[in-house]
Amino acid sequence: MEKVLESYLEKVSKCLKRIPVSERADIIKEIESDMSELQNSGKTSAEIIERLGEPQNLAKAYLGDLLVCGNGFSWNRFLTICAFYSVAGFSGMIVIPSLAIIAPVFIICGVLVPVLAFVKMADNILGLGIPYMENIKIIFNGIEELTPVAGFIFSVVVGVLLYLAGKGAWKLLMAYCRKTSRIKSKLSV
Amino acid sequence: MVIDSWKSQIKRGTLEFCILLMINKRPYYGYEIMNKLDTWPVLSAKESTIYPLLRRLLKDGFLSSSWQETAEGLPPRKYYTITDKGKEYLEAMSQEWGNLLTAVKGIEGE
Repeated sequence: MEKVLESYLEKVSKCLKRIPVSERADIIKEIESDMSELQNSGKTSAEIIERLGEPQNLAKAYLGDLLVCGNGFSWNRFLTICAFYSVAGFSGMIVIPSLAIIAPVFIICGVLVPVLAFVKMADNILGLGIPYMENIKIIFNGIEELTPVAGFIFSVVVGVLLYLAGKGAWKLLMAYCRKTSRIKSKLSV
Repeated sequence: MVIDSWKSQIKRGTLEFCILLMINKRPYYGYEIMNKLDTWPVLSAKESTIYPLLRRLLKDGFLSSSWQETAEGLPPRKYYTITDKGKEYLEAMSQEWGNLLTAVKGIEGE
């Protein structure tokens, strides 16, 4: 194989770094085989290279829309990276702390609310006289207070909802982190 | 030209269908597929289209491939064969293709 063609294959291979080694070798081998067929049909190396196009573009065709390794500096690449970090940094500043606070607090509250209501109910029914129980009450419209039993049932419902909301926030947080890192790995920076 | 962009849009979906139709008849290697497609200018496509497309079909499990030595002293060739999943896919494609042609004919003949 001629030197020009070899260096062409090397360039393509370099741009396909993101693809696992064995697959990459297979791709290169196939292009090499194609080059030999073209040579065999009487094409010169220059014609073959012209037909295959820029090595970066050929690599890009394999990678789809992902960014390929550029030859040196490219404004497009630079701007893409800037845009990514601006969006990820800015949204992360709001999304990550909010979710990180919401998730555990909701989960803890989801457990605490029914527990406290249960203690109140037990105190009321068994007449245990636990101090400060008058501070635990559920009030509707600012006037109507629920009875301890109704309060307990209500608080179990609220507790479950809070717990689910906390769980949801936690899942969102994980999804956000995963998504950001996936996009970042696609940018290969 | 406008017609060129339209042609390339049509080609994108059609090439996949044509390549599967070819490989359904017998195993082909990439260069051979390109040569065959060259017979019809409307379908002719270059390496940067064909090889990534074949790779995608391979990854989706519609094709399988194997390297085979050549008798003419050339480097080995990568032959593509259609899988059962590929045959099902092709079957569904043929059906849709038929629907499309009927629809176009219907509208033309109105």
